[in-house]
Amino acid sequence: MAPSAAEADSAASSSGRLLVLYASQTGNAMDAAERVGREAERGGCPAVDVLSMDGFDPSRLPSERFVVFVVSTTGQGDPPDSMKGFWRDMLRKDLGAQWLEGVRHAVFGLGDSGYQKYNFAAKKLDRRLSHLGAERVVEIGLGDDQHPSGYEGALDPWLLSLWKSLNETNQSLLPRVSDINDPNLSTLGDPKVHVIYYSSNEVPQDSILSDPQKIMNSARTMSPALQFHDDGGPPYMLQMVANQRLTEEGSDRDVRHFELEDPSSAISYKTGDALEILASQNPSAVDAFIERCNLDPDCYVTIRGKSVDKISKGSAVSSLMDRIKLKTFVALTMDIASASPRRYFFEVMSFFSTAEHEKEKLQYFASPEGRDDLYQYNQKESRTVLEVLEDFPSVQMPFEWLVQLTPPLKKRAFSISSSPLAHPNQIHLTVSIVSWLTPFKRTRHGLCSTWLAGLNPRKDNTIPCWIHQGSLPPPHPSVALVLIGPGTGCAPFRAFVEERAAQTVAEPTAPVLFFFGCRNQDNDFLYKDFWLTHAQDEGVLSSKKGGGLFVAFSRDQPQKVYVQHKIKEQSARVWNLLLSGAAVYIAGSSTKMPADVTAALEEVICKEHGVKKEDASKWLRDLERVGRFNIEAWS
Amino acid sequence: MLRGYEFEQVSFCMHKPGGKLPFDDGSVGAVLAVVENESLREQLVAEISQVLKAGGRVLVPSSAPSSSQKPNTDIERKLLMGGFVEVQASTASSQDNVQSIIVSGLNVMAKKASWSMGSSFPLKKATKALPKIQIDDDSELIDEDSLLAEEDLKKPQLPVVGDCEVGASRKACKNCTCGRAEAEAKVEKLELTAEQINNPQSACGSVVWVCGLGDAFRCGTCPYGGLPPFKPGEKVSLSGNFLAADI
Repeated sequence: MAPSAAEADSAASSSGRLLVLYASQTGNAMDAAERVGREAERGGCPAVDVLSMDGFDPSRLPSERFVVFVVSTTGQGDPPDSMKGFWRDMLRKDLGAQWLEGVRHAVFGLGDSGYQKYNFAAKKLDRRLSHLGAERVVEIGLGDDQHPSGYEGALDPWLLSLWKSLNETNQSLLPRVSDINDPNLSTLGDPKVHVIYYSSNEVPQDSILSDPQKIMNSARTMSPALQFHDDGGPPYMLQMVANQRLTEEGSDRDVRHFELEDPSSAISYKTGDALEILASQNPSAVDAFIERCNLDPDCYVTIRGKSVDKISKGSAVSSLMDRIKLKTFVALTMDIASASPRRYFFEVMSFFSTAEHEKEKLQYFASPEGRDDLYQYNQKESRTVLEVLEDFPSVQMPFEWLVQLTPPLKKRAFSISSSPLAHPNQIHLTVSIVSWLTPFKRTRHGLCSTWLAGLNPRKDNTIPCWIHQGSLPPPHPSVALVLIGPGTGCAPFRAFVEERAAQTVAEPTAPVLFFFGCRNQDNDFLYKDFWLTHAQDEGVLSSKKGGGLFVAFSRDQPQKVYVQHKIKEQSARVWNLLLSGAAVYIAGSSTKMPADVTAALEEVICKEHGVKKEDASKWLRDLERVGRFNIEAWS
Repeated sequence: MLRGYEFEQVSFCMHKPGGKLPFDDGSVGAVLAVVENESLREQLVAEISQVLKAGGRVLVPSSAPSSSQKPNTDIERKLLMGGFVEVQASTASSQDNVQSIIVSGLNVMAKKASWSMGSSFPLKKATKALPKIQIDDDSELIDEDSLLAEEDLKKPQLPVVGDCEVGASRKACKNCTCGRAEAEAKVEKLELTAEQINNPQSACGSVVWVCGLGDAFRCGTCPYGGLPPFKPGEKVSLSGNFLAADI
């Protein structure tokens, strides 16, 4: 393939650069990748770029010379969403064993050895790169959540060996390599964010946005932290019209049924879709943050990231010059009272601290020795940005750094629990209201679930929403279903059952088996009447229609009974349905449940068909590849 | 020879060459086959086998005088070829009380196999193939599972801590069953006295007073753990949680 002019250009510029590509699900891999980039810069690397994988075209890989990959693995052993497209391209058969000749690579994985498929995404990537002809600089590094120091327990030594090895083979890449870990050197560098300030009388009235939807779009497009996460919007501003508690008062779980409508027009969605919501932050927390940081809430700002390699999708050029109130920008894009800051936040704070004991403590927290104590103070206590700033009152961090380092306010996704066939203009949600006690007995609440629970359907309310295809493909009415959804996992299946019940009116539909689990029949049997109704007479779950409803109440008897026990009890029925071409769907919020249910299904196959476990396991993997075995698990 | 067997019915018949024995398949418990000249035709063997029940016996008394001690190998061989088992030749017992035609010489006895016709008999648990799943050959992509091997499933060696002690470096596993997760959630700290609430001072007597500076500066066991920062002498405000008893 003859190189085009553009490729030749990029070949020239990429020969001396270090490219760090990351695939992050919750931000950890991104943090780690940014640290790799910072250390390379400290070491004098002439050109460093840190990019998310979904912002990089893999066909440009062969023209790179040094690429570091930082990759998270999700609980099911899958790569993060931002890696899926990239990974598909890497698996192509036609790439050949010399495709990446001349490229030197290193992979660091972030995973959790508590899961079976520990760091699978990173391991597979590392192998594939080698098969394609790339040369390993160092062995793969495996970060482990189970390690006392988290992933950094593995990252610290891995980085040392990475820099050492790179420097041995290519001294011009890191001319000041010894600076990287020199404790005497502490330079901060510049923020990667540029802010332009306008006082309110400098801004012409007609350029000020008034529509909340437009303001939100402007703010979220402008935020550099959201550059690769967001997709503009929100397209829908929904109103909550029903807010019902599904669990018994007094039971320790609060699960709500919400009904949302679009007051202005019909919403279009499909069964199995997910709704993403941007929660509102507590206004007094926003005020407290602005006051603490000595910011002027009423001034207007325009914010830009300094290196814009990729213009985020959906942003018009004009919106890059939008002006927005500083307070609004903080409220809509910066998570100041929920998410915890990262280690680098503490490091930067230390540069802006004027009290000696605070500076020392912050430097300690940012050091390898202080990692455990930082974990106790920060992550375990679910410390917020606002709380941390209040604990270190001498720190005055410039707004640019705050914008760069405060965790972005993220959307929260929920499986939609209604079918548009049954509720054409409504979206239903089944939400567990999250709260927990920290080790120091401080009560923490989930930002989005708590905000939703507090909305009053009889009063005006607005919920900014996006609709996305869910990870459970909606089944064809002729496909029999085995649905397993304990707790709030039943949400998407309520939609499936509603859908099938509506379809049955017009055409014959295949049977449905539904396995539900909860603690007590009297406390948290979510949507009890709904399931029972559909299990009677000729309902979708009725035995007349070949269906079934099976419920495990784990705490209603001395021994624990879970959905997997119910599945094994119905071994023959489940197997018969599978033989007839049924699709299996598993949904829920536990980390262990999908694995336990999968194991139970394997046992069913072994027992009913007399095969070995390995064969049953492979058969289920084949089912997965053709879309007949689907898992949606959330933490 | 056939002592110990009880027969409901005894029949006699002549067998013509090429003919069939007048009995239903598998209906006869035992056959006494008297043959001429030590010759047992294969066809007769097959007939006998057919009418015998599973496990039924056939006895071919010897027609040779006892003086000839030649083993009756031909009859034995025919019976073996006919699918009979436990084929053996033996002499009659002279102590036999039963009036019988069995005199001296070698008699051959055999038994029809005790599994019935047409049944399958698993020698060991055979594995049946599962129905094949038709995968749309996304022939453009390799199978990513082939990138990994058995060893990739191994768990890493985490730093070993003496016992599952809270406060030591190791974190509780996500599905902790040893109680470590619960112990971690409960922080070991000293009780907060009324005096310490009303007139807070340094709790541990350290010269550099840090308790009021906030959690970032406090010792792990500081009784003020979890409270916001405060100044010495200023009454500490407690949230509801602190008044709840430690369970």
